[in-house]
This record gives sequence, structure tokens and C-alpha cells, in this order.
Amino acid sequence: MTLLAKALGTALALAATLAACGAAATLALGSNGLAAGNTSVTSCGPSSLTATRTVDNSGNVTQLSTSALPATCAGATVSVTLVGSGGAALGSASGPVPAGGGVLTFSSFGGTVSAASVASYSFAVVGP
Amino acid sequence: MRKRLLLLLLGATVAVGISVAFAASLGVASGHLWAGSQTLTKGTCTLQGTSSTTDTYVDEQSSTSSFGSATTLSVGPKSNKRTWALIRFNLSSCNIPASGGADSAVLNLTITSAPGSSQSLDVSTITSSWNESTTWNTLPTTGSPFASITTGTAAPATKSVTVTADVDALIKNSSANYGWLISEASQSGAPITTLFGSSENGTTANQPQLVINYEK
Repeated sequence: MTLLAKALGTALALAATLAACGAAATLALGSNGLAAGNTSVTSCGPSSLTATRTVDNSGNVTQLSTSALPATCAGATVSVTLVGSGGAALGSASGPVPAGGGVLTFSSFGGTVSAASVASYSFAVVGP
Repeated sequence: MRKRLLLLLLGATVAVGISVAFAASLGVASGHLWAGSQTLTKGTCTLQGTSSTTDTYVDEQSSTSSFGSATTLSVGPKSNKRTWALIRFNLSSCNIPASGGADSAVLNLTITSAPGSSQSLDVSTITSSWNESTTWNTLPTTGSPFASITTGTAAPATKSVTVTADVDALIKNSSANYGWLISEASQSGAPITTLFGSSENGTTANQPQLVINYEK
């Protein structure tokens, strides 16, 4: 076997091993287990999201509106969680971004939420 | 020369393999995802005194007179001599942005002269403009009463009214700042009058006060 053949064989074996790692990663992430690591994902475009809410006279949140989402997010699902000072989820809501994007308004949060208890809002935009 | 060629070939092949591996990872994570959060800042703002308060009362019997500089605000039910009080606050010194809101807001009014028998007073949101020159004949429009004050018969006595929804709306739209009307819907033959301290009252503790717990 020539030196060239040996080198080529070694390289192909190494490449195959690396490719297999990739395939294995694919399988691991697709299984019902847990995978961890760094990966890159893309978003439909929001650089940031904020929310404003209204309250009733008892101080309970009656409505929450997000800032405007871009049209590229049309069809995506926006989830908002009202988070307490201890990190507990006090309420949440989700809904689809309408065609053309824009503001989403929620009026139900899975229960009564006192505005005074809300320390932050968490947002997730998934899809489209 | 031949060895260098072999090394190049080896390097290129390894690079292809690595690319395949990373491409596979990226493929698994495809789709759009964005996550973020907004932390709220909480604070308290207390408004009191002539610099932030506009108040007056109107008198049915003196229907063209104004009482913007009076040191008390009169509320009485006597027929044809009714008196009603109007109060509003300027929130600008609180520096709450329109994107913020009220977690709670309480209007504190101090009775400086109590009626001989306890009265139930109505609190309504004023829905049109007025000023300290407003008279009975130029009363602004109001909504339906949303709260009441039971006066009792002792003075001084501070009465608190929850006005969270109105203040929250005011934060979001400062141009609709009309305040509240204190009145007594029922009319009576008896001269039962309640006096509250106004923003011009010389005793600070008697002046109307608005306490806002807000977020921004």
C-alpha cells in the first residue's frame, strides 16, 4: 500500500467518524432524552419585546399588550409569562402573531394576577 | 512536494468531516426561536399640596361662584344647596412613563369637620375638563360612582379611596386627567355638611393626598 493510499484511508476514516458524530447528535436531540450544548438558532426578527398592562381597581392585571412584532413573525406563537419576584410563574398567555405582525393583546392569564406581585415578563417567540 | 500534497488532502478531508458534523447540529435546531424578558422597576410616589393638586368645590345655591382658593372642600346634600368637591392631581413629578402603570393608588382625604350624622358620599370619575374656577353651573361630566366614603361623625379623620384603575389609565394617557368628584346623591332637608381639607389648607396633614405604587 502506498503512502498516498494510507493517508487517504486515514482521512476518510476520520471524516466518517466526525460525520457519524453529527448524525449521532441529530439522533440524540431527536430522541426522548436530553441533549445539551451550544447551537445557533434564528429568530423571526424581534430585537426586543416589552409589555404594558392595565389593571382593575383592585390592582389585578386585566390586559397585557406586547410591543409590536415584525411581519416576519406572522404565524409564530408568542408566549408571555408574568413572573413574580421569586421567579415563580404567576400567570401566562400565548397566541399567534397576526398576518402583518403587530401588537398582541392578552386578557386571560390562567387566573387572577396581582400587578404588584409581577416582577418581570418573560417572552418566547416560536416559529413560524 | 508529495508529502505536502498528502497533508493538504488530509486537512481538506477532515474539514469536510467537521462541517458535516456541525451542519448536522444546526439542522436539528432549525426553526425560529426568540426569547427575552423585561424586568419591572417598582416605586412609590406621593402627591400632596398645591403644586400637584387642583381642587375646589361647587355650591348649588351660589351657582356662579367658585371656591378654588378655599381651605376646605364642602360636600353636603341639602336640597337646592348641595355642595360637591372636585379633586385631581398632576402626576408629572412622579416621572412614570406611559408604558408603566399603577399597581395600586389610594386617595386620602381628611375630614376637618364631620357631619352630625354619618353620611355616605359617592366618588365618581370626572370625564371632562374643569379648573378651580369651575362653578355649579359649569360642572364637568362624570361617570357613575365607583366608590363611597362613609364619613362617620369624628374629625379629623382620614378617609381612603382606592383609585387604582383611574390612576393606571391616567399614567397611560396623561391628557385625560380629570380627577374625581365627591358628592352625595341623595338630597336631604337637613344641612348635613362634611368638610375635607383642601390643598390650600394650612395643615399639611389635612390636605388631599394621592399615594401611587407604580411599575415602569
